[in-house]
Amino acid sequence: MKRTFLVCVAAVWVGILVLGPFVGAHEVGLGELAAGDAVASRIIWQLRVPRLLLALLAGGALAVCGAAFQTLFGNPLAEPYTLGVAGGAALGAVLAQQLVSTAVVGGLPVVAVASFAGALAASSVIVFVARRRSTATLLLAGVAVALTSSALILFVQYLADFSRTFRMVRWMMGGLAVVGYREVLWVAPWIVFGAVALFLMRRELDQLATGEEIATSRGVDLGRLRMAVVAVVSLMVGALVAVTGPIGFVGLIVPHWVRRGVGHAHAWVLPGAFVAGGAFLALCDLLARRILAPADLPVGVLTAIIGGPFFLWLLLQNKYR
Amino acid sequence: MTELLSGRVSFDVGGRSILQAVDVGIREGECVAIVGTNGAGKTTLLRLLANVLAPSRGGLSLRGTPYNQLTARQLAGSLAYVPQVRPARVPLTVRDVVLLGRYPHKRRWSFGYEAADFEAAARALEVVGAADLAARDMSELSGGECQGVYIAAALAQEAECLILDEPTTYLDPGHQRQIAHLLERLIRRDGRTLVFASHDLNLAFALADRVIALAAGKVVAAGPTADMLVTPLLEQLYGAPFHVSCPAGIPVVSVDLSTRSVIGPDRAPDGAPGEETT
Repeated sequence: MKRTFLVCVAAVWVGILVLGPFVGAHEVGLGELAAGDAVASRIIWQLRVPRLLLALLAGGALAVCGAAFQTLFGNPLAEPYTLGVAGGAALGAVLAQQLVSTAVVGGLPVVAVASFAGALAASSVIVFVARRRSTATLLLAGVAVALTSSALILFVQYLADFSRTFRMVRWMMGGLAVVGYREVLWVAPWIVFGAVALFLMRRELDQLATGEEIATSRGVDLGRLRMAVVAVVSLMVGALVAVTGPIGFVGLIVPHWVRRGVGHAHAWVLPGAFVAGGAFLALCDLLARRILAPADLPVGVLTAIIGGPFFLWLLLQNKYR
Repeated sequence: MTELLSGRVSFDVGGRSILQAVDVGIREGECVAIVGTNGAGKTTLLRLLANVLAPSRGGLSLRGTPYNQLTARQLAGSLAYVPQVRPARVPLTVRDVVLLGRYPHKRRWSFGYEAADFEAAARALEVVGAADLAARDMSELSGGECQGVYIAAALAQEAECLILDEPTTYLDPGHQRQIAHLLERLIRRDGRTLVFASHDLNLAFALADRVIALAAGKVVAAGPTADMLVTPLLEQLYGAPFHVSCPAGIPVVSVDLSTRSVIGPDRAPDGAPGEETT
């Protein structure tokens, strides 16, 4: 059952990776690509393949972070977006758009650097506030940071002029529009590092199922586990939001769905979430590009539209409280 | 007999003293019951013993080695803890929960469970008489079955000392008896060391070799069970009238819950009840 589920999802993942580049506003066939058509080759290799890779990585990262947060906080609604990490990242990016005139710093977009810093700042605040307190406090600290940063974002947007506000609003929708591999190569190491690091904490995360007291008595260092998970997640989300803007609901829906397929052992949930999250976001992005083609609907809008009702449906299923 | 757990501990929370210089000495293979009123510090003492909390002052030793010189995992190899309060909803099967007890024995880089883990889990379920529940969801179990499963998880941990908080609270009399028999088997047959806290004095007196009585964070009395089974001591500890009888050689402790002594015929019905107990 677990294996079948994981194999099926992996097959879909590979299928998307192979077929995805041929889906888009402009019809490009394998023949044109093989014939060495310059336009076809540019569309496939410079636009669609990097975008697809980014979707697979981003979706995977978001789902893995969501899965880890849900377990850590013992709360099915926990994910980087509900807990302020993404909010901090977005605030950083919006501030950069408002205050900094140069577009690039150190070879990277200013927005990217700022949102990375914002994610780290947000999670530092969360960790500092909740350093020696319970997981419930950590959750509330996260919600407080999320609400504060969204209020500050509105404040900055109110001050900004029309065109900047437009750009900010666009960016806040979350999208995967990239040209070339620079962004992909920039986020990939963070995501791979983070996913591996979370996978190494799988047994500790498993222990939380029967409560923090038993986990501690068995030798799980809860303080360190909390710090490690929050730090790893903010690195991943900070790097990611820098490139894509906030994309919600992937981290919320995908882990719940994966747990229904593979159970609750994190040795299965985390890899399953990575693969399923990537496939989910890539499919959403393919769909988002088709709906208003040739216009390009930001995928964050679509995940939220699909995600809300899907999540409600999940909650109504008997196995969920 | 060597002392398995020993030391003296104090514990404060926000300047308020929960435990004050409580001396602990638990020998290998013995069963110690901790009794006392609500808020006396029983659970805190168990948490300190189980290394869930660190003492504010003092320290504990496992076979003479201070806790802080051992890793949490090493301690968990010798001490297994079954708390009273646990998550209401555990989305796992019984077997999964018992396998979680294998954590102290697993390496970070090993994947999944090995044959030894499955054997330990199966043995533990066998001991608590829940082998037939292995594939069931935790959510389907009754309170008594659930308690058995958590004890099985502690057994799968293969620690020589079990620390249990209120093992029979909230259970019906039938399940109380089952758990009592299970604990008895673990002590007498398997020679485990057992430390438990309970409000059920009959359980404490039936199982324990020694009893520690706590009040307001201090040890007020400690000694062999027979010496502790005296009405004045219990009445002083709990502030309630007790009755100890010994039918068929088994001591039965009962608290006098009748209201006649409070609202007696010689008292006005609106007289302050409870004054008698202070």
